Formats: sequence, structure tokens, C-alpha cells
Amino acid sequence: MVRIENLKKVFGRTVALDGLNMTVEQGALYGFIGPNGAGKTTTIKTIIGLLSPDEGRVLVGDIDVAREPGRVMARIGYVPDSFGVYDNLKVSEYMEFFASCYGLAGLKARKRGQMLLEQVGLDDKAEFYVEGLSRGMQQRLCLARALIHNPPVLIMDEPTAGLDPRTRYEFKEILKELQSQGKTILISSHILPELAEICTDIGVIDQGRMVFEGTMEEILAQINVASPLLISVSGSRQEALKLLRAHPEVETITIREEEIVVGFSGDKKDEGALLKQLVDAGVNVYGFVRERENLESVFMQITDHGDEEVVLIHED
Amino acid sequence: MRINPIYRQESRAGARSFKLPLIILGFNSVLAVVALLYMYSMITQVRLTAEIQYSSFLGLYSFVATVEFVLLLFIIPGLTAGAISGERERQTLDLMLTTRLKASDIVFGKLVQELSTVFLLIVSSFPILGLVFIYGGVTMPDVGLLLLCYVVTAVLLGSAGLFCSAVARRSTIATVAAYSVAVILIAGTLVANYLADGLGEMASAGGGSAVCWQMYLLLWNPAATFQSVLNSQMGSGSGLAPLFPQLERIADMGMIGRYWRPVSMAVQLLLAAAFLWGAVRKTRPAGKRRR
Repeated sequence: MVRIENLKKVFGRTVALDGLNMTVEQGALYGFIGPNGAGKTTTIKTIIGLLSPDEGRVLVGDIDVAREPGRVMARIGYVPDSFGVYDNLKVSEYMEFFASCYGLAGLKARKRGQMLLEQVGLDDKAEFYVEGLSRGMQQRLCLARALIHNPPVLIMDEPTAGLDPRTRYEFKEILKELQSQGKTILISSHILPELAEICTDIGVIDQGRMVFEGTMEEILAQINVASPLLISVSGSRQEALKLLRAHPEVETITIREEEIVVGFSGDKKDEGALLKQLVDAGVNVYGFVRERENLESVFMQITDHGDEEVVLIHED
Repeated sequence: MRINPIYRQESRAGARSFKLPLIILGFNSVLAVVALLYMYSMITQVRLTAEIQYSSFLGLYSFVATVEFVLLLFIIPGLTAGAISGERERQTLDLMLTTRLKASDIVFGKLVQELSTVFLLIVSSFPILGLVFIYGGVTMPDVGLLLLCYVVTAVLLGSAGLFCSAVARRSTIATVAAYSVAVILIAGTLVANYLADGLGEMASAGGGSAVCWQMYLLLWNPAATFQSVLNSQMGSGSGLAPLFPQLERIADMGMIGRYWRPVSMAVQLLLAAAFLWGAVRKTRPAGKRRR
């Protein structure tokens, strides 16, 4: 539904996008993640036609954004990281205004506005002034506004930034519902656990390049996360540390409170062998588990530029 | 007919705010006080001298018209200077640009809204300007020409304000820039004329200044056009005449001199069109500009 091919964008001496490739399939809920300054907002602004690419192209459906921006705009709903609301308009008037910006007017526009307000839970606030709405309500209004022309694609730039957990939860539920209605949703966010829960696909951008793209299952399965082993021992840890230091597959050892955190390159079989070795050596092991993989650790690994190396830390 | 959404939204928001009624109240209060004081001074003079000079009633017209023009000069740049930069600050400009609206729709919607406000100000001041009809001497076509002059000035300064608003990122900077453009157009062209006249006189060793290139600069000046309109209705010496002695030489300018008023209005509308074109270009997002 959205395809980006070899996108390049330079601002002065700063390379914002450096040959970015990206594909968002129809009906996907695509989580777009990356560290600050990675190029997320530049990518989004290029998709919606607010920025022009220096090289490459963006296709929405089969339409090239640079060639036919007008046609693309009819297919995209955009929710920015800021609310972008008029304080002196009522909620219903705000919806009517944006409906008229898409050429919708009269009863049709009003009905569509009412339906969307109902969908985001603001139907009882239709006659309230926008300035009287809470932050969460304003963001939901912004989402309703982006859907006023019934676009097949919804693009959201950090939509839940600054919202409380309850509002974020409600927002997430609305997104799930929209996806079930067949909308293709691209959402950039820093709140990675949230994305992991709702997204079907993930794209990780770093330094203007796509460093990983795939489904949630793929991202967790294909990437060698090398999650550390968490070993808990009772009594003295000296024997365990001596044994671990000598082990060829142990890369790093860190002490974290009660646990020994071991960077271990071996597979499941090697893990079993290591545990047996520890037990045979008389170490009282009461915990031996791989740290659970999550999107955050994947993200940290992918966007690690090697300037923050884990060092071997000894207890004594 | 499809009404420009920006115009409709601005009108709705404008009708709710205190700003517009306050502007109308302030504008007409100043005009009314000025007109009534002028009438009072005329009547006092009649009481003292027992002599009625009907030309002084015409003076009421030129005086009120001039005060109204000067007030408009102060108001118009401020009305449009924050139009686009304000949307940018509110972060609603990007939202509008991602709809089917074109940058030109946004710019023209804002301009029409500004013009309707100015038109409202002018129409609301008609009863005060109409005081002169009690005594006669001014015809409806005269008032129509004056109105046209006001509208051309509103279009020019409004367009300049929109251009500044599209270029500047902050409304404060846009407002300063809009007033600076107004000063350059009005005072700048006038000062350039005085300087060039002075230099010309020195060069011709006091032989009197002929019509030179600098006279054409006044074609850009809305105040010169206004004064020219007043001169055609009241004769020279009224309104801002002391500021524009050069206008007495326009008769020597041939064809342009003969059609000074329509030519100057056309020139100012062309300049306004250039400002609007610039505003549209600056408002249009980079991704929608033709490469």
C-alpha cells in the first residue's frame, strides 16, 4: 500500500534519509521505530507530500506522491505529533471544517463527523469548544479528523506522546478497531511495548536507513538477539564466576543485584551443558534463564552503533 | 457555489472573538470624534464670523476620508500578518496542506477574510462619512471612487502582509515585516522622491525639477493614489496634499499622468498579485512544488 524506494533527503550537511526502502502492506499495522533523529518524521513528511525527496520515490497504492500529490492526499489521513486544533471552534465545527477541506459538505459531512466522533468516544462532546477538551480527547479528535474523508491509509507520527496510560490504552483499542476495518496504519512511536502489542509489522530506521523490516514474528525469530543468560546462585559466587570465565562461549559477565548476567553465544544444548557444569562444580544454582526477548531489546541491539560496549565486570 | 473553507472557518471564528467588534468600535469611535470635532469647529467659526463657507463642509469629507485612510493603513497589515504564520505556530498549516486544499485556497481564503473585515469597517463608517451629504457637494461616484481606492489599498497591504506571513516562521516577525513593507511603499517611495527631487534641483542649479523617473515610484504608493483621488474631487490642498507636492506635476507625465489613478491602482494590484504569488509559493509544501 505504501512503498518507498531508495529515498534520499539531505538538509544542508545533514543526511536525513540515506536510500531508505520500506514497504507497508495493505491492512498492516506498521510500527515505525527508530532513535531520535533517525529520520522517522522526515520519512512521514515525505509520504504525505510535505517534503520532497532529493532522490527516490514514494508510492501510495500505485500513485507517485511527487507526481500526483492531490490524489495521494485523498487516500491518506495524517495525525501529527502535535494536536493542531482550533481552540475557538466547537468539536462538531472542527470536524465540519476539515470535511470541507476534503470537499465534503452538508448532511453527508455532518453524518460522517458524528459517526467518527462516536467511534473515538467524543459524540457527547460535539458541542464543546475544542479548548475545553483534555489532551487525550484532543488527540482522539485529531484521529477522527484524519479519518473524515475515509482514507484507506492512516499515518501517525508519535500519536500517543504525552498521553496518560489509560488514554494510550483507549487509543490502542481504536487503532485495533481501525485495522479490523481494513485500514492500513503506519505509526511511529517511542513507546515500544505498545507497538509490540498491536503491530503486525515493524520497520526499524537508523541513520536514515531501514535496518530491519518484517513481521513481528520475523523480527523476534530472525534477529539473533543474544539475550543474556540470567544465573542466580546462592552462597558464594566465586566458583560460578571462575567457571564462567573459563567457558569459551561466555562473552561477557555482569553482576546485576542478585543475578549474574552472562552474554552467552551458545545454543540451547550449550546452555544445558553449562548448567550441568555449574551444578557438578557444586554451585547452588536456583535460577538459570534467558532474558525474555522484547521489542525494546531488539531495538537497542539494532540501533547500537558499538560505542556503548558491554564490559566484563568482575564482582571483586 | 462552494465557499472557500478557510474563509468560512475564519469568518466563524472571527465572529466569535472580541477582536472584530473592538476594531469596529475603535475605528468608528475615532472617526466619529474626529468628524464631530471638525463640525464643531466649523460651527464655532460660523458663530464667530457669521460667514458660511460651504467649502469647509467639503473639508469635512476630505478630513474624515483621510483619517479613515490612515486608520486603514495602520489596521490592514496587522490583519493579515499573522494569517499563515499563525497557522504554522498552531501547527494547523501542515494539516490543511495534507487535505485537498491547495496553498492558493489557503492564501486567497485568508485574503478574502481580510478584505471582508476591511469592507465591514468601511461600510460601518458610511454614516460618519455620510455627514457630508447633509450639506452636499460630494456625489455617490466620488464616494465610490474613494471606496475603490480603499479596496485597492486593502488588497495591496493585505497581500504584502500575507507574503510576510508566509515567509516568516513567527507571527511577530511577520507583523514587523508587514508594517515595514507598508512603510517602504508609502514613506519609502515618498522619501526617494524628495531625495531625487533635491538632487535634480541641485543638478539643474535651481532651474526647477522636471518630471523624472522618481515620479513613477509614486505609482506604487497607495497614499499617493488616495491623494490623487482627493485632488480630483476636492482640488489640490486637501487631505495629505502637503506631503505630495509632486502630484501637481502629474499632468506633465503624458498618458500616465492623464490616467494616473487607474494606472496607479493597476500597478498596485499587479504588485499585490506578485505578493500573493510569492505567498502561495512559500505556503506550498516542498513535496507539492513542481520540480
